[in-house]
Amino acid sequence: MRWWVAVEWIDQLIREAEKSVDEVEVFYVEGTSISADLRKKKVSHATTSQDCGLGIRTIRKGRIGSSSTSDPGRWRECLNAAIASGNLATPQEWKGLPGPEPLDQTPLSFDRSLEVGPVTAGKLLEAMLEGAEEHPAEVTSGSAGVSSLEVTLASSHGIRYTSRHTSVSLSLEAIHGQSTGYEFDHSWALDRVDPTTVGERATFFACESAKGKDIPTGDYDILLSPLAYAELLGTVFVPALSGRNVHAKRSRLADCLGQKVTDPLISMYDDPLLPGADGSSCWDAEGMPTKRTDFIRDGVLCAFAYDLKTAYRYGKQSTANAVRGGYGGSPSIGHHNFVVDGKRDTVDDERVIFVHNVVGAHTANPMSGEFSVELSNAFFREGGEFQEPIRSAMLSGNVFDLQHQITGLSRESRAIGSLILPSVRIKKQHIIGK
Amino acid sequence: MDGISYYDLRHVTGEVTHIDIDNGVVESAGTSFFNKAILRVLVRSGWGVLQIDNFTTCTGRKFDELLERAARLAVITEEQVVLGDVQRRQLPVPPLKEDPREIGLEEKSALLAEIERSATLPLIVNRRANYIEKFEEVRFSDSSGNEFTYGMGRSGFNVLAVASRNGNVQMGYEREHSIHGFNLRHQQDVGRKAAQTAVSLLDAVAAKGGKMRAVLDPELAGVFAHEAVGHASEGDLIQEGSSVLKGRTGERIGNETLTIVDDPSLCEFGFDPVDAEGVAVSRTEIIRCGVVNAFLHNRESLVAVGNGIAGHARAMPGEPPLVRMSNTFIENGDSTKEEIFAECKNGIFLAGSRGGQVDPGRGVFQFNAEYGYLVENGECTKMVRDVSLTGEILSTLHQIVLCGNDRKMSPGYCGKGGQSVPVSDGAPHVLLVDAVVGGSGMD
Repeated sequence: MRWWVAVEWIDQLIREAEKSVDEVEVFYVEGTSISADLRKKKVSHATTSQDCGLGIRTIRKGRIGSSSTSDPGRWRECLNAAIASGNLATPQEWKGLPGPEPLDQTPLSFDRSLEVGPVTAGKLLEAMLEGAEEHPAEVTSGSAGVSSLEVTLASSHGIRYTSRHTSVSLSLEAIHGQSTGYEFDHSWALDRVDPTTVGERATFFACESAKGKDIPTGDYDILLSPLAYAELLGTVFVPALSGRNVHAKRSRLADCLGQKVTDPLISMYDDPLLPGADGSSCWDAEGMPTKRTDFIRDGVLCAFAYDLKTAYRYGKQSTANAVRGGYGGSPSIGHHNFVVDGKRDTVDDERVIFVHNVVGAHTANPMSGEFSVELSNAFFREGGEFQEPIRSAMLSGNVFDLQHQITGLSRESRAIGSLILPSVRIKKQHIIGK
Repeated sequence: MDGISYYDLRHVTGEVTHIDIDNGVVESAGTSFFNKAILRVLVRSGWGVLQIDNFTTCTGRKFDELLERAARLAVITEEQVVLGDVQRRQLPVPPLKEDPREIGLEEKSALLAEIERSATLPLIVNRRANYIEKFEEVRFSDSSGNEFTYGMGRSGFNVLAVASRNGNVQMGYEREHSIHGFNLRHQQDVGRKAAQTAVSLLDAVAAKGGKMRAVLDPELAGVFAHEAVGHASEGDLIQEGSSVLKGRTGERIGNETLTIVDDPSLCEFGFDPVDAEGVAVSRTEIIRCGVVNAFLHNRESLVAVGNGIAGHARAMPGEPPLVRMSNTFIENGDSTKEEIFAECKNGIFLAGSRGGQVDPGRGVFQFNAEYGYLVENGECTKMVRDVSLTGEILSTLHQIVLCGNDRKMSPGYCGKGGQSVPVSDGAPHVLLVDAVVGGSGMD
């Protein structure tokens, strides 16, 4: 019953829109969030926000228009702006928005026991600080946030989907002399984050790296943590799998379908229905029922990601990869839970340089894949143990070429944003030392 | 109200217009609206903050209820905050030479399409141009009776050209953004430059990493000032202990010739008429003649750290004010560009910026050039691509041995704490010795 109370104006909006356009899609989000920030070991700020946002997309004779507002009371103005925007857009091949499907509406990433209040955030900070006590580094800053939101997708084709999501996120920064450590965690459920370990790891890295020594320039086997690997993949490789970038010739993988693009160890796929994952959802941002899409199977490129707009334009099928970064703009190509998988093994028996994080991954060349980054919290690792820390070094290479040099995937995976990935062992990478 | 020692309210309404043209196709174009406010309430134990979408101005009991809601959040805060006494003044917003709001979306779109088309050359396989225009009406008031109201607009465009040959894919990227009004007219040269850079890079070689002499162009040297010095001088980072510049006032960390400034009162892309805490904005010399001179502050870090002025608090609409840079630059020296290249003799010239990042606590930074040239006998020779620089804040500034006399500012955006604010960076040409250059090229 809730639906009819909450969204009467959405039905009104759709009826109004149908007078002037062929189709309309309404995305409405409403939520509450609480965050608390640490300065050193004291809570300095507690913040709450009530968010809402409306995004409208209209389609008329293949012309797609959009507008958004944080004030749903102004939906008429927003609708007019969307229609005006469509008048300017170049018309394209368009075969219609999807109709409703009998999808299971059980929320996949909603923790009903999560209390979105300052006390929850305060307890998370306390637990992080407790973990941080493990090592003598000083905490400089930290943050914990909890939120709950409800997303509604409605269209002139009769779609009325509503889903609820929660999220919990935390991070801590520490320093020891001139050595810093950073760790974080996030999930949709409170009992799936581990604040004590976040605190412990942050001070561990700050303390251990303080003893770092320089190493000579040369080629080394490296072990990228899920975080470091995600930084490089997310900037360069994942965007190259977007159908939009492929057809616009902004992807180095454009002509590589059916070819080997990584070591045969590696598979990459989007699994929107992965149990327990943050990005799980039964429908995408355009209302298409989601399913798993395999981009790379045993090293071979087998698919790109599509939304409806790109699929219609280039005669392809949508892979239900439309996402919204918020209520603003139009849906665009993204992913739900991007998984890097393959045969797992022990990756740190033999001596290797472990890289916890990198500085400057976003400055990589997104077309060619060339990058050059400073290492953060790098160590030699051997026999499964941290050995000598490395003070400062640079890693230069090419994100596309590097995928062919992968020789092992760790047994454990970790979620970094919407990427779920293991640590990867890569042979012979160029490290510029001192 | 009981227990509340201070509050301030910053309410921002406005609209954003954008146009996206991709290979001749108008992908999207239109206008969106926003209305966001932030209410910060200081009680004995710290800040309670409310972020409100669709704020309607209210007074009396309704406003008191908001104050109480914010104050209640402070049940978990535990930090005594003292706010510094500050100067109040609002600068006039520079007039727009041509007001973008008076130009129709169709005309804007046609002009952007011309720029996009001008990025056409053989081997260019994709062109993309974006226009973005944002107008904000800002209303600030606080419990001390200060009130400021102003409207301000920013607009500009980016153009990207992608060149491809035998699997080698390269790009050229240009951007022009301004607070002075509409800037889409007569800009085809900018599109052509993006295309030429992309095509030239197809023949460039990967740079070889190592230590060498490097000449930085004004844009990249500006990013250097921003990453290597600007962030580490932010008062909130100094206060929490995550900056290597903490406690180094008066210490020499660079050559006599080096002065680095942040100035939100300068009419460049990072201009603010008054800061996000209602404080007067003015110039801070972070490094003066090679010596650590002053830090950037908000009212809180000014008291906690000292040395410098407040007026450096900035915020996105509806977001909490943070200590931020605005217009950051290396002051002109007295060398000419020719003298700098002659002094470099053999090394590398780096130009344009693909951005950078810093870990201010560790004092390590990294940034990337769009392209470069080998310098041989004082002349630019072979083009190189994908070159980055890393360094350590406390030692790298000594490596700047010459500053040119041709300072130029470049607009951009800077991220911190999940907020992105408009900034400009700038410098003259500078010469670095023993620069640590990263690149994947091999011998």
